[in-house]
Amino acid sequence: MREVSVIGVGITPFAKYRDKSLAEIGWPAVKRAIEDSGVEKKDIEAAYCGSALGGMMSGQRVLKQLGITGLPITNVENACSSSSSAFRQAYIAVAAGVYDVVLVLGVEKLTKFGGGTLPLEKEDFEVTHGLVMPALYGMRARRYMHDYGLTEEQLASVAVKAHRHGARNPEAQYRNEVTLEEVMSARKIAEPFTLLHCCPSGDGASAVVIASAEKARQYTTKPVKVACSEVNSGKYMTGFRDMTTPEITVRGAKQAYEEAGIGPEDVDLAEVHDAFTIAELLYYEALGFCGKGEAAKLLEDGETSIGGRIPVNPSGGLLSKGHPIGATGTAQIVEIVRQLRGEAGDRQVEGAKVGLTHCTGGGISGFDHGACSIHMFSV
Amino acid sequence: MAQSAEQLEDNPFLAGDALRVADDGTARLIGTECADCATKLFPPVHVCPDCMSENVGEIELSSDGTLYSWSVVHVAPPNWRVPYIAGYVDLPDGVRVFTHVVGADPAGLEMDMPVSLTIATLGEDAGAPVESYAFTPTRT
Repeated sequence: MREVSVIGVGITPFAKYRDKSLAEIGWPAVKRAIEDSGVEKKDIEAAYCGSALGGMMSGQRVLKQLGITGLPITNVENACSSSSSAFRQAYIAVAAGVYDVVLVLGVEKLTKFGGGTLPLEKEDFEVTHGLVMPALYGMRARRYMHDYGLTEEQLASVAVKAHRHGARNPEAQYRNEVTLEEVMSARKIAEPFTLLHCCPSGDGASAVVIASAEKARQYTTKPVKVACSEVNSGKYMTGFRDMTTPEITVRGAKQAYEEAGIGPEDVDLAEVHDAFTIAELLYYEALGFCGKGEAAKLLEDGETSIGGRIPVNPSGGLLSKGHPIGATGTAQIVEIVRQLRGEAGDRQVEGAKVGLTHCTGGGISGFDHGACSIHMFSV
Repeated sequence: MAQSAEQLEDNPFLAGDALRVADDGTARLIGTECADCATKLFPPVHVCPDCMSENVGEIELSSDGTLYSWSVVHVAPPNWRVPYIAGYVDLPDGVRVFTHVVGADPAGLEMDMPVSLTIATLGEDAGAPVESYAFTPTRT
């Protein structure tokens, strides 16, 4: 397998674009990634597009806007892990020597659903009986609070930290800081969550250009190495399971660290799947940034804030940057690449050399999550 | 779980084949047990996900369990009556069941408290009541 580098990144700022089509939301991210990479569009040999709810041929609909057609385009659906799963497909193709230069994009338009909770698969038994994503995470939170003594204030402080970071990100959907009191007194969604415990619904796109390490040197003096690429599906468990342990992330992290030859202590920053406040805390533990039951202390000590030992979600994360679900995986990669290049502006994590992205997709019965992807990058 | 018109006539409950209600109103949850590896599942399936055997048969599951966790839901698709309490109940059969918790003050719920099966109206769909199984704190 060949070494693979990211050579270009771009984003369509996360927002609500009710009057734009998926294609119109998608192309600016792609154009920016291509311009950032220095490749000509004719150099792109294949494209992989992640979208969960964009409908048929999302990739073709976006790429025709820029005249990037006639090449192999593969559309990938894996719920919230769609574009991170697309990235892995692209990575495998380049690492295996099939292609030298490949485009990956993620795009989503959730405003077409009008708001409310994310529409889930109606064939699923628990969904037909009233399971919604905030309730699923709410039950994880409630159990964690019982088992580990987490307080409502500690849980709410995850959102305060997310917005403190997101306020520094000009491409975030929400760029306002929030107080603990504002989080706790917001409208109730699924207890113990208020609105500010939940990622917003919205639209957006993100794109990256990757190349073999050898080819990358032709285009850039700042290639970012893909240190590992890991995608898993959840294990179907119909019996009892511990909802405070996200098994798919624990398993995936072990594989990712082994593949990269890098341990959690070597990670300088991470973008993790904080769809709801409790998720970020569970993932501190699952990714090995702290021990079981120690997540609230890690947050309280400022270790996961910019300036701390292991900044998590400097972009604002899903809670503040937004979560147009199919676009999230590659958007996390965009953030890590900018951080490792030292181009993250007011939210720069100083001296960052190793970054991790983590993206899960869930919402079906019997799984912790349906899918999870973990990638690591280094300079 | 989508049901055909015929199935709806046989069983008016949302849970379909996963719920059986006797003439006297007694409800039982229906699962399957694999005759080859003894794996028990809810709702019923046609193939065992553990050993891929199709030699699976219906079983009646226990109607008493414990509340693993819950969330009071305030925002949900329009067919549900909000707020409602969503929960997971662990049955002694080794099966975890997603459920609504009814007849309970949320402030009075406790982790791992005993709960029992009941039937409840959970919402409305196109003007018709949506009825299915639910769990309620066990009377002591």
